[in-house]
Parts: sequence; structure tokens; C-alpha cells
Amino acid sequence: MAEAVLSPVKQRPEKKRRTSSSDSARTARPDLIHEDGAGSKAVRLFLIGLSFLFIFVMMILPLATVIKEALKQGWAAYQAAVTDEYTKSAIMLTLLATFSALAINTVFGLFAAWAITKFHFKGKKLLTTLIDIPVTVSPIIAGLIFVLVFGRQSFLYPYLKDAGIQIVYAVPGVILATVFVTFPFISRELIPVLEAQGTDEEEAAALMGASGWSIFTKVTFPHIKWAFLYGVVLCTARAMGEFGAVSVLSGHLRGKTNTLPLYVEVLFQGFEWVPAFAVSSILVIMAVVILVARNIFEHNAKTGSGGV
Amino acid sequence: MKEKGKRVIPGLGLSLGVTITMLSVIVIIPLASLAVFTARLTPGKFIDVITNRRVLAAFEVSFITAFIASLINAVMGVILAWVLVRYEFPGRRIIDGMIELPFALPTAVAGISLTALTSDKGWIGRIFDHIGVKIAYTRIGITFALVFVGIPFVVRAVQPVLEKLDGSYEEAAGVMGASRAVIFRKVIFPEIRPAVFTGFGLALGRCIGEYGSVVFIAGNQPYKTEITPLIIMAKLQEYDYASASAIALVMLVFSFTLLFAVNLIQVRNTKILKGGR
Amino acid sequence: MAYVELKNINKSYGDFKASDDVSFGIEKGKLIGLLGPSGSGKTTILRMIAGLETPDSGDIIIDGKVVNGIPASKRGIGFVFQNYALFRYMTVFDNVAFGLKYGPYAQKDKKYIQTRVNELLELVGLAGLGSRYPSQLSGGQRQRVAFARALAPNPYLLLLDEPFAAIDAKVRQELRSWLKQIIEKLGITSIFVTHDQDEAIEVADEIIITNNGRIEQMGTPIEIYRDPQTAFTAAFFGQTGYLEDYRQFKCFEPVGSIDKAIVRPEFVKLTKKNEYQKFKSSAEEATVERVSFRGNYIEVGVESHGSHFVARRELEQELVSVGEKVDVFIYRIFVTKDNKAYLLKNSSLREESVVI
Repeated sequence: MAEAVLSPVKQRPEKKRRTSSSDSARTARPDLIHEDGAGSKAVRLFLIGLSFLFIFVMMILPLATVIKEALKQGWAAYQAAVTDEYTKSAIMLTLLATFSALAINTVFGLFAAWAITKFHFKGKKLLTTLIDIPVTVSPIIAGLIFVLVFGRQSFLYPYLKDAGIQIVYAVPGVILATVFVTFPFISRELIPVLEAQGTDEEEAAALMGASGWSIFTKVTFPHIKWAFLYGVVLCTARAMGEFGAVSVLSGHLRGKTNTLPLYVEVLFQGFEWVPAFAVSSILVIMAVVILVARNIFEHNAKTGSGGV
Repeated sequence: MKEKGKRVIPGLGLSLGVTITMLSVIVIIPLASLAVFTARLTPGKFIDVITNRRVLAAFEVSFITAFIASLINAVMGVILAWVLVRYEFPGRRIIDGMIELPFALPTAVAGISLTALTSDKGWIGRIFDHIGVKIAYTRIGITFALVFVGIPFVVRAVQPVLEKLDGSYEEAAGVMGASRAVIFRKVIFPEIRPAVFTGFGLALGRCIGEYGSVVFIAGNQPYKTEITPLIIMAKLQEYDYASASAIALVMLVFSFTLLFAVNLIQVRNTKILKGGR
Repeated sequence: MAYVELKNINKSYGDFKASDDVSFGIEKGKLIGLLGPSGSGKTTILRMIAGLETPDSGDIIIDGKVVNGIPASKRGIGFVFQNYALFRYMTVFDNVAFGLKYGPYAQKDKKYIQTRVNELLELVGLAGLGSRYPSQLSGGQRQRVAFARALAPNPYLLLLDEPFAAIDAKVRQELRSWLKQIIEKLGITSIFVTHDQDEAIEVADEIIITNNGRIEQMGTPIEIYRDPQTAFTAAFFGQTGYLEDYRQFKCFEPVGSIDKAIVRPEFVKLTKKNEYQKFKSSAEEATVERVSFRGNYIEVGVESHGSHFVARRELEQELVSVGEKVDVFIYRIFVTKDNKAYLLKNSSLREESVVI
């Protein structure tokens, strides 16, 4: 995920450096090269211990804190918070924003990946750089720019008002912000896979007279299936958890423009700790599901397109 | 060279058209409005806005905490990647999976739970309270949250490089009699150094702009623990759009410069490896 | 006494037996080629000598000392890796200097390192390229750097894993003779691994043939060529054809119940019907099946008594054509039984020697 921002200089899938041989790709055995002395064992234990400590403090404890705080006043209080009407409407808005982002970004991802990997044209590098901008922009700035475009001071505002459309501090704004921050999430998973695959198969299909649509569905899509699903998972994770950008555009109206993370904020700022953590626990569960799905899809996306 | 063969595949016009239209509507035009609104300020006013004491203090807080957090992440990220790739031990898979948590967990949830964890009643805050160190609502707390946010960037940048690292480099150094420490310093580290810089750069970029996980733990005291995104938020609430744009523009320029620097490292690196003379 | 000695070495990877009771000894100063098909265990032997693998059982003795317990970093052996494993982020100079700076006998004296590295770069013909990075060198130059790097700390034993595998065919030829010369000049005991018989014949003083984790035979190239002791060696070395039933061919005394035999192109004299054939009466008639131009000779595939084998003709000789009936006289053949090879000479040759 991290390196994708750098797509302009991203390294191609590595070509085989070794010449063919029965025993390529060995990993070194440090225990053979050096005596496995007390010193190296201590270093090893220390590093493993440090890693466990880090993960425990930074990852496990925060999750445990959510559960502890959520259940502080017992199961009934927890249940009440989770099934609260405002919570339900926040869940609905979160789902709506997530699905919108998925739909729009899928359309964009497929078209962009097709254009970028199957053709040569001027300005391709610039285009790939521009596509990656949303992930490098602070979420607050992402929210800000939509306020600037559609807000009270925009030249568009009078027209929108006449048409009865409200974007800022309303649901469309929340959706726009979510789409923006997750914009490149699907295309950046598809592009490397399609790039590695090349254009030979599509060319062969086109020469045999296949239409663009059947080339895509029959030839291209099977290759990118897992990468696509992987992108969907990443996009979902970010979309349902987006806070900063949505926070700027939402106006925090309970039951109307609050997504789950925003509702968590409202509760927390209002010193309603137990409900805040209870609502958080819903997001924690979703995060865990996403982590698991991510691992599965990532594995499949890496081990090749053909399988299953 | 344009190869005729590439044009055999249909759909260039349609796909490029859709791509550019969507990109313009969702990304380019909104971003351009930032420049438009900033341009409404005179240069003098612009300078005034971004050199306002409170704004400068926020830049400082954002930068220092993000920088320290990214340094910690660079070190911890290399250690975690190393442990995950090189050692076999029970629980390795769990650590590997948990590294991704910051990508999957909504920042607001991370924010409130880290706050609860490090406040003087939390599990960690309580321990540090004994020795008189406050974490939540201080810069330490901000850094703590940013370490959480940034760690996967470094680990995921370094890990694949370590995995692909050809064992024969270490063997070659080992056969010549180099110690483990020398092999790490002289042979392995140069191989992962570009990835460490990349991870550091990406983590820093993310940390500077981070909002959700920081607002709760920061305490948001002007001049002390107020971060830049919060200043923008405050300007917005005062309907001072021009100032908000100006500050945002500075941040944007910073993150683009950072990305550019990261790319530069990559380019230099490919040069050494691929050999242009 | 052998300088490097392996005694009853066994090594398995799971079910795969990489070394099966391997024993051999190497004299000091010799250049040895470990030759075998891929997967025959030759690289494993090399890596065990270097200490990069441990044998499951058996002893490795270098200069009279059992070295099994000594880690690779303390054995003081030079190793040239198949992909060279040049440190990509170090210049050529730093690569060659590595062993001098960080080895067991690390040199504090910078002047000495400087001199020694330049001396080695001179030796391998790369003087002046010290400040380049490996990526800026050609394949052959990289190989030379790897060689210089392995030699820098003055190892008493040099191991090379498929040293020419990654190089273009043309440069390879040149590098082979270069490497042989330099190793002879330095007098360092060396072992190299290869799957290419021509390479082994040309470079090695002695060849060890491996197959399925076992040592098939050890000897000088000419010994192995002339006197293969196992069926594998007889078939592996040289370009071989088979006689399905050699007893159908004249003048070979049958041995036991064996009928299959190995025949090499140089064992066969092929003559056109109108040409002079000294042993006409002992020659067999054959049909030409295939004629290929091989650059400096012509290879002719023939069929006789249901067997297919290969003969050679000089370029100056009259051409034969496919389908033509020709005479073939076979000087000698190898018959193999239970992995033992026996040489059978054409009896008409013996009669003649008796006459003389």
C-alpha cells in the first residue's frame, strides 16, 4: 500500500537476475556462516521481544481499551448504545458513503487502468501522478477543497441553491469527501497487475475480432480479479473509517449527516464515553473482518491471477 | 516511439475520456480552487496569515511530532520487518497481520482509544503518571498516536525488499570473514536503505496531515498541542476561507516536496542498480 | 597427501539425497572441475566445503584438519558465486577491499589495502575501473571482480560455483583460458562446479564426475574420456549414440548377456561406397538419416541394424546425402553392465596389430 504513491518510478516486477540453475533463490544461513554464539541469540531474543512489546502496546492495548471502555457499564448499556437510533442512521450513512465510493472508484479504476496499461500516450506519467494525489493530501484539506467549491462563497453556490441542492454540510458532501480520499485505491491495485501482464493477450484477441467488451470480460478481467477484490477491501477500509475530510463537510447533524466515526466523535466530545466506545466497537469488528479479508485477497493477488 | 500495434486494442478514447473527466471533477478542479482562494489574498496578507504566531506554532508542533514519530517508525519498522522476515517464532503470523491494523482501524476509533489508554486513568497513562510523565494531551501523546498511524508504511516498504534479498550477498560477505554486525551494516542495510527512506517519507507525509487519531489525544491547546490541520478546521469554522486555503497550500507544497524527495531517492537508487554511466 | 579431503559425506534435503557417501581427495595446487548434470549434487559439495551447508555425516578435512565445526566465516576460503553476489551499493574497489577490511585478518593499514586492491584489479585486467559500480560493468568484467574479491584476502582454497554460466558464449571461451592461466600462475588450489563438459575438459587439471549425489569417477580429462569406468560417465562424456544390439555388428566379442553399447562419433569412420575403407570387410552398411553442418565439421546421423548413432566427416571430404548407403567402421564401443563400463575394441584392429 505504502509504495504505491510512487507509481511514476515504481519498479517493474523484478526480472530474473539469476541464470537458470537448480539451486537458485537460496537464503543465507547465518547460523552456518557464524557460530551461533550467546551474543547473537541475545540479539535475536531482544528483537523478537521488542517487536512483541511494540505490537502489544500499539495494537493490542488500544483494541482492548475499546472493549474495556465499551463494557464498563455492563452489557445492557453497551446494547443500548449500539442499537440506538442515531447509531443505526450513522451505520446507514457509512454504508451509503462506502458503497458510493466503491462504485465510483471501481468505474474510475477500471477505465484508468485500461487506459494507462494498454496504450501509449503523452502525459501518462503526469496522469498517474495526479491519480495518486488524493492519498497524499491531508484529509482536512480534502474536506476544505469541497467546501471551497460548493460552499457559500463559491460562484456555484447561487445556482445550487436555486436548484435546491445542498452539498456542504449534507449527505452529498459526505459522499464526495469519501470518494475523494479513496479515489485511487482500486486503480493503483489494478495498474501494476495489468502492467506486468502486458498487452499481448488483448492484441491477440483484438486481431481475432473480439469486441472491446468481450476482450475485457474474457481476457483481461480474469487476470485482475484478485487484485480488484484486494483494492475493494482497501477502499472499504478507508471509506468507512474516513474522519477528517468527512468531518469538515458533514456539519455533524445527529441522525442526518453523521457517519459512524463522526458519531463516535460527537459522543466522545460530549463525554458520553461508554456509547462512544460501544459505537467504536462496531468499527473495530469491521476492521478485523477487513484485516482477515485483506490477508486472503493479498495472498491470492500476489500468487497469481489464475487460481480458484 | 509510438507502435502501431498498441492501437489494435479498442477503447483508448473512451477509457482516457472517462479517466480524465472523473479525475478533473473529483480531484483537479477542487484542488485548483485552493489556489484560486489563496490568490484572493495579497502577498502581504498571505505572509501574515502563514507567519501568524499561532500558525507557526502549529506548523512546529505538526512537524516536530511527525518527524520524531517517523524516526521511531523508521527504527521500529526495520526491526519489525527484520524479525518478521528473518526469524521463525510462534506468533509471527499474528504480528504480521496486526501491522496492518492502522490501515484498517478508523482513525477516530484509534484516536479515542489511544487517548483513553494514555490518559492518567488508562493502562499506560497510569504507569507513566507515577513517574510524572503525562502522555495524553501533550506532544508525547501526539507522537504516540502518529507512531501508531505511520508504522505500517515503513514495515510494508522494507519487508518485501528483505524478503527478496538474495542470500548470496550475505554468504559472500560471510565467507570473506565479515562479522554479523558488519554484514548488516555494510551489506544488508545498503540494500534496504532506499526502502527505509521511502517508508520514512511516506510515514512523515501521512503524519503531518493526520487529523482523526490526533485531535482527541492532542488536547488542542494553542501554541502547545495544536496541530496544523486543526488550525485549518478553526479557520473554516470562522468562515475565514482565504486563510484556511493559505495554510492548506503551505501543507500541500510541503507534502509534494516530500514526495518529490522520495522519488528522487528512488531514481538515484535505480541509477546505481541499473547502471547508467 | 590430499590437501582437501571429503570422507563419506552424506547430505539430504528431505527425501532428496544431495550427497550419497561422497569421498575424494584433492592435491595441493590442483584445479579441479566438479562436473555433473544439474541436481547431481555438485554445488552442494562445494557449499559444504565452504561451510555454507553442513553434512549430515562424514568429515571434511582441509590441510589435515577436520573443519566440520568451523563456521564459514573462519575457514578462510575464497568463493565465487554463480551470480557473483557483488555488493551492488559498493564500488568495484570497495567490493575487492571487503575481505581485507572486515575479514578475520582485517588490515588496519589503508595503504596496504589500497596497494593490494589495485594489484588485484591489475591482475584481472580492470585497472582504473575501481570507482565504478557493478551495474556499470559487463558480465565478463563482473566475473573478474568477483574473482579478484575472492582472491584479495589470500585464501588457501578457491571455490567457484558455475563461474561462466552467466556469461555470453563468446566471452565465456575467452574467460575460460584466462581463468586457467591465472589460477596456474597463482598456484592456488581451486575447485569449480560446472555442468558443461567442454568447460571441464578445457579448464580442469582433474575432473570429478557427479551423478545422483554420488561420485562416478575422478581423473584427468583424458583418463575419463578414454577410460570411463561407469555407465554414466561413458554416456555423459562426449556425444553418444547407442547400438541396440552390438552383437549384430561384426568383430565385437560378446560379453555376457549384454547387448546395448555406447558409441561416440570419433569411434566411427564413415566412408562413401566409392571411397577407400581400410577395414572394408569389417565395416557395416548404414543409411544416412541426417546431415548437419556444425561449423568446423559435418555431423552425420546414420542408421544400421536398427541402431541410430552419429559420425563425423571433414569439411574437405565429399558430401554425403540423406538416404545414401555408406560404410561405417566402428573402432571401439563401451558396453555397460551394472553401472560398470567396459571397452571393447574391434577385433579386426587387434588382428592387424598381431600381423604387425
